Amino acid sequence: MADASTGISRPRLNGQALTTLAVLLIVGFLVLLPMVFLVEESLNVGDPMAFPPVEFGIANYVAIFEEDLKTVWNTLIIAVMATVMAIFIGFTLAWILTRTNVPGREKLERLMELPYYMTPLVGALAWAVIAGPKSGFINQMWKAVGGTGDIADIYTHFGIAWVMALFEGTVAFVMISASMKSMDPALEESARVMGASKLRTMLTVTLPLVMPGVLGAMLFVFAEMLGSFAAALVLGIPGRIYVITTAIWDSTLSYPPDYGRASAMGLSLFVVMFFMLSFYRRMIRRGTFTTISGKAFRPRPMEMGRLAWVLFGVCALYVALAVVFPIAALLMTSLQRFATVLLDQAQWTLANYETALSLGPVRTALFNSIILGLGVATVGVVIMALLVWIIYRSQLRGRGAIEYLVMFPQAVPRLVFGLALLWAWLNIPIGIYGTLWLLALAYFTVMLPLGVRTLAGVVLQIDKSLEECARVCGASWAYQMRTVTLPLLKPGILAAWLLIFMACVRELGASAFLMGPNAKVIAPSIVSAFATSGTELTAAMALIQTFTVIVALVILFRVARGMTKELQ
Amino acid sequence: MSETRIEVKDLVVRYGDQVAVNGVSFTVGRGEHLTLLGPSGCGKTTTLRAIAGLEHPSSGKISLEGHAVYDAATRTNVQTEQRGVSMVFQSYAIWPHMSVFDNVAYGLRVRKQGQHEIKANVERALDLVQMRHLADRGASKLSGGQQQRVALARAIAFSPTVVLFDEPLSNLDAKLRAEMRVELRELQRRLGITSVYVTHDQEEALAISDRVIVMNVGVIEQIGTPEEIYNKPRSRFVADFVGSANLIKGKPAGDGTFVTEGGTVLKVMAPHMPHGRETEVAVRTAYIGLEPLAGENHVPGKVRQRLFHGDFVQYVVDSPVGAMIVRRPPTNLLPEGADVTLSFSPEHCVLLEA
Repeated sequence: MADASTGISRPRLNGQALTTLAVLLIVGFLVLLPMVFLVEESLNVGDPMAFPPVEFGIANYVAIFEEDLKTVWNTLIIAVMATVMAIFIGFTLAWILTRTNVPGREKLERLMELPYYMTPLVGALAWAVIAGPKSGFINQMWKAVGGTGDIADIYTHFGIAWVMALFEGTVAFVMISASMKSMDPALEESARVMGASKLRTMLTVTLPLVMPGVLGAMLFVFAEMLGSFAAALVLGIPGRIYVITTAIWDSTLSYPPDYGRASAMGLSLFVVMFFMLSFYRRMIRRGTFTTISGKAFRPRPMEMGRLAWVLFGVCALYVALAVVFPIAALLMTSLQRFATVLLDQAQWTLANYETALSLGPVRTALFNSIILGLGVATVGVVIMALLVWIIYRSQLRGRGAIEYLVMFPQAVPRLVFGLALLWAWLNIPIGIYGTLWLLALAYFTVMLPLGVRTLAGVVLQIDKSLEECARVCGASWAYQMRTVTLPLLKPGILAAWLLIFMACVRELGASAFLMGPNAKVIAPSIVSAFATSGTELTAAMALIQTFTVIVALVILFRVARGMTKELQ
Repeated sequence: MSETRIEVKDLVVRYGDQVAVNGVSFTVGRGEHLTLLGPSGCGKTTTLRAIAGLEHPSSGKISLEGHAVYDAATRTNVQTEQRGVSMVFQSYAIWPHMSVFDNVAYGLRVRKQGQHEIKANVERALDLVQMRHLADRGASKLSGGQQQRVALARAIAFSPTVVLFDEPLSNLDAKLRAEMRVELRELQRRLGITSVYVTHDQEEALAISDRVIVMNVGVIEQIGTPEEIYNKPRSRFVADFVGSANLIKGKPAGDGTFVTEGGTVLKVMAPHMPHGRETEVAVRTAYIGLEPLAGENHVPGKVRQRLFHGDFVQYVVDSPVGAMIVRRPPTNLLPEGADVTLSFSPEHCVLLEA
């Protein structure tokens, strides 16, 4: 009790309070300040290049409705088509994989993640190769069998939506299957006992029960699709189909760059997405997801008999469309002098890879991306782990505010955030614009929600009393963090590191604006190669990027497995 | 119980608008085993956690060994790790990334004991819970009962004077729970530890405590020895929550008598000073006989239902004072429909505070 008496005399101002304040200031600076600059610029109606603006007005917003109505219409129609497709695909696959005894269920379920790792950019490039007008593989084959004209054209509204649904819609599958998994199978079984057929059970019990989950996914996916950039950039621009994101991009490329207009469009997009995501969050909080009880149910899939193989075929078709065909098409293209699907005409070569790897800019871009990935992931997880602990474990005031700030970038389309950062750092008198430092800062900021969510998942699984017990045993906060919290967090930290690394290597939206001539990164370089050089070179670059991510993944999974073994 | 180890005074804990603990005061003497008993949400765990410094109270005062560790008046709030108390958590909180030995040694290492001292103390603690043979086992490979023992060993390894128990047995199955109850009581007596124990299991509370505090919705309903709590419940809540009791409505008629709503006059005892506005008496189901005995209250009745429980038989008896539940040993079984005379002594017919 001697210890206690020293504590009594001086209730110590612990380091935690100061940490919180510092964190709040820094995160606020990173997250909110760019948005403030963006708002300021969107109201600029004078010289678009003036820092700071001198004339203010709402002309930029008015212009959206006067001149860009077609863009708005394109955005809506593509987002609606993509959402409908994504939800349909997601629901079908989720039902097959969680509620039926389809053969190879677990392996298939893991394959479903692959399109997400492929990224919409690579997917869009691949589908441009497969279904592009004239030289696309499908059209080549059509002509080879004597057909005339084109039967496939990916450079259309539907084509863009198709690629978005395949490669960005994976989240719908994840969300819907989560709500199906948390449903008590007894609810379905009792319908069967009452005499309902499998289809009837699905339609009258399963579907209504997971409907809130489906609606939530729909809202979430639609918001994502509104802010989607890569597919529209690759597939929309050739056919002059502009959506909001590509229009923003386009107006910064015009001369003089119209940052005011771009900011106004970006902010409008942000506001719409922000409200949709807030609505989505409220929906979850209100507990509309009645099927999600937090209880784990033993999965008891329905016996489908011979139909199981048909369902297997459906899953296989999806994997083929979203993974196998795209990769095969890119591989074929990258290995030929002139891309063709007709094997007797093919001239095989490795020249594209040689070019890609020997071309100075491409090499540095790849190198830069990897360096950024390593750096941001390593420094980022440490900071994010601290943030997560403060938000979900400490008793401090202001932790709610920190959570809100940290999650804020999620509601901002990457591209808009890139624009905001660009504008902010043109104005802030610290000379990091056009360097990798700005990219690193931007990556860290936009990865905050991803990293914090991943780590939070692990932290919330750790029983709070494990930490409290350390304190009761007499450990200080720092000692407890070192001996209990961090060791338990290790697997989560590793997972977050991996995700951030991958996300950095593939980052496009924010990089597009922040890349400087001396600080190139890989994804925007692939886009510009697609616009200026041949598909063959672009395909090689896209595959090199994908390959880098895969190699990194494999190595790190090995490490991770070793570490978890050591832990046990 | 001359020396006060823990003193809680006018403790209030709020969560936002909700008051979890609303003005609780009690003391715990040296070597005493005090139990906080109540239904979930009554504030018992919050009170315990406030003593450990894991909850931040809104007002009141908590002293350990005469030193204030929390005092709203002087804005004192000693950090958990400096309070020197120990605790066994409901979930055991065994660190899965450490061995049994490392778990138990944690508090000793924090206190910077030497290697030999740590080894000796850990082994002593593990011996007390008969877990020494598993010292090198990874903590994630223990059964529930083993985890329980390790948690206990860890809590006592650094020789704390005060140990707090947060429903430590609630995750064990009934048989193991009964065993651990006996061991815990033994250990607590042997080591002379002062302990505060939280449970919602009234049987457990009565069996292992020196004193019991019954709590409900954030306030103390009654403090007393297990016998006092059982034999002289002060309120309807205590009579109902601890053990099983029949409640008979009516009003006091002065001179130690009580008139039921049906007009039957009963001789009763009042543990408090009666003020005439009481409306109920409580009679424990175990204190009612089915044969008339001299000097007791007598009420005629008829057995409506008989439930055979094994260790006892429960009869529901219709009588002028209402349907009475009676628990008797399983000897001399009475058939349903049998005419009986309910008899219970005035000292077991307790007038409850209004």
